[in-house]
Amino acid sequence: MSAIDFSDPATIAVLTDALIAAGVDGLEISKAGAHLRIVVSKGGGARVSLTGNAPPDLAAAPAAIVKAPMAGRFCALRPSAPAEAGQLPRAVSDKEVIGFLRIGSVLLPIPAGRSGLLTRRLTEPDALVGFGDPLFEIEPQQ
Amino acid sequence: MIEIIEAGPFNTVQDLGRPGYRDIGVSASGAMDPLAVRIGNILVGNDDGAAAIEVQTFPFKLRFEARVAFAVTGADGHPVLDGRELLPWCTHVAETGQILELRQPPTLARAYVVVGGGLDVPVLMGSRSTALRGGFGGNSGRPLVDGDRIEIGTHSDALPLPASGIAVVEPTVALRDVFPAPVDGVLPIRAIAAGEHELFASDGEAFWNQAWRISSRSDRTGYRLSGEPIKPTATIEMRSHGVVPGVIQVPPGGEPIIQMSDANTAGGYPKIAGVIECDLWRLGQARIGSRLRFIRSTHAEARAVEQTAARYIEDVRQTSQMIKRALKAMT
Repeated sequence: MSAIDFSDPATIAVLTDALIAAGVDGLEISKAGAHLRIVVSKGGGARVSLTGNAPPDLAAAPAAIVKAPMAGRFCALRPSAPAEAGQLPRAVSDKEVIGFLRIGSVLLPIPAGRSGLLTRRLTEPDALVGFGDPLFEIEPQQ
Repeated sequence: MIEIIEAGPFNTVQDLGRPGYRDIGVSASGAMDPLAVRIGNILVGNDDGAAAIEVQTFPFKLRFEARVAFAVTGADGHPVLDGRELLPWCTHVAETGQILELRQPPTLARAYVVVGGGLDVPVLMGSRSTALRGGFGGNSGRPLVDGDRIEIGTHSDALPLPASGIAVVEPTVALRDVFPAPVDGVLPIRAIAAGEHELFASDGEAFWNQAWRISSRSDRTGYRLSGEPIKPTATIEMRSHGVVPGVIQVPPGGEPIIQMSDANTAGGYPKIAGVIECDLWRLGQARIGSRLRFIRSTHAEARAVEQTAARYIEDVRQTSQMIKRALKAMT
């Protein structure tokens, strides 16, 4: 649950630091009554946006979407992990780490957050993602 | 507090060492893989030089007697907490009573258990490292044994760790451009010719051209190498002189010795070369029985590698803090 105060300069500063570290050019966040757009440089390329809630069609679907907790480069696997570790679909537990965001030399583990069947990756490996971008789809298991 | 449940021989408390006392015969000691200790400490929010457990004989088990953040760095392979495999090079939080187990790593030699707050053993001559030969420092100057209990220091990092932890791209991957992987199982180790290199004439070339094996008579003091012996053209008697980690001496038998973290402070054997300091952690992770080859290096190359490694450490430090701040702001 996000409780960001978009008017807080410190929050804006850390978001900006995160963008610079991740090589992201800009960030745009829209929420009810709040809208934040940070442009780090004039260069083209990255498009980062935030949607506070899942779109209605996804919200209605049985599958859950795991979203990026911040900006970074998406890694489906730890860089040193064997490739077979990332094969889908596979059952996952709620605390299981199913991917990473790479920011410089640091990796932010992404937990599944729920038990179920990890069916799809929604982002290509090494793609630049922004806060809230969908990364994985997990179907609840009976 | 942590309690050691199962420890093989020679697992010790180490930090970044005790430099500055060689003139009175005190080895620097310190972790055989200081890079792993630095990174582990940064991840859990400690000062760089906080003390950790160096595990070089496996399996190793400890019980956490308080809730504490920790990371296992250094070796490859996965640590196990209460039977559940964890990510290496990543922070985790152990609850009171949980048991951490380290199994034999697949390829590397030494793992480091770094806890939030560091290990609170007494500081002696500026360091918490265990000096095994001197019998002081660390945990009562000796290796850890079953039943040992070690206090944990106070944690001062104001930024909370992310709930799912924070990890790094480990040095062997992040720095692969400057630390080349073994070729056909032979680890390249860069060295610079030392004072008595010329004494070995053509055998000097044999030193560089052959693959040496790390013999079983190796420890934290020195690695003895097995291979085709190299001999000086003349037997000389040298006065004992100061040596440091990385110095490669050639005793009369012709098989070199590399001084390691618990290096002797003085020695009289001729020195054929010196391993560049930034490659020492790679030696520290090389196992007995593995092979290495010395690569001729230069001071300029050593400096460049050192700077690249320093940039990696600084990147981990700054980026991990930035991520913690960003996630804190979002919650």
